[in-house]
Amino acid sequence: MSDEAKFVMERVFDAPIENVWKAWTDPKYLAEWYGPGVDTIIHAFDLSPGGVWLNEMKGEAYSMRSKIIFQDVTPPSRLVWHNSMTDADWNIISNPNMPDWPTTMQMCVEFESKGDQTVMTLTWTPFQASDAERACFAGAVENLGKGWGAGMEMLAQVLADMGA
Amino acid sequence: MYLSLKSDIRVDLDAVFAALSDPTRRDILKRLSQNDLSVKDIATDYDMSQPAISKHLKVLERAELIERRADGQSRLAALKADTMEGAVNWLREFEEFWTGSLDQLDVVLAGMPDPKESKS
Repeated sequence: MSDEAKFVMERVFDAPIENVWKAWTDPKYLAEWYGPGVDTIIHAFDLSPGGVWLNEMKGEAYSMRSKIIFQDVTPPSRLVWHNSMTDADWNIISNPNMPDWPTTMQMCVEFESKGDQTVMTLTWTPFQASDAERACFAGAVENLGKGWGAGMEMLAQVLADMGA
Repeated sequence: MYLSLKSDIRVDLDAVFAALSDPTRRDILKRLSQNDLSVKDIATDYDMSQPAISKHLKVLERAELIERRADGQSRLAALKADTMEGAVNWLREFEEFWTGSLDQLDVVLAGMPDPKESKS
């Protein structure tokens, strides 16, 4: 559906597309960067359509686990996966703090070579979401705006005003 | 999906995001950040009927973005700071997860050998 709410993030890397692809698809490299300030442990990793990546991120207080199922693997330009949170036994669960957040999100990352650089485009959309999940995600995206624009600024402004 | 690893958000974010998705309600919140206001005050500002404003306030109240308190004859709406902070934190954490990860990816990429050179 083209009118589905989506969230898009773009970034340019100072690296050739082969290396960017490798960093996104080789678990050895993925564990180094995926998840900021946490220990990322990759319990299983099968890079093929239908293949599963079981990921654990160890924070200070507790671990967050997710199950990722690859959908499209087209080196070196396109990678699509479905991401869901799981319990300790890798059963998919909804977010306990936000029950209407889509249980499964589709993440599509595309890479394009530009000279010595690589342009990355990340797109998130809810996958097989209920109406409530879609509405929740649309509400969040609306507030995130493009590049964390309007909504974030408004909220930040309100908070700043309250502090004044 | 990207549940916080550090904070323990207990606000009903679904309700918060639904409430914030409307521009009039966002504007009402902005006004309430300056002053506590009655339905009448707000209705005058927007050239909207009081029942219409009451409806918006109910949505904001259900999301716990505002609270209502009695002030003499009228009831005033006041902003609830914690809920707002919870929502901002959630959005920030989602953003930080990815900007933080991609910053780390930059470092990983810088350490990788050039594919053209490594082939030879």
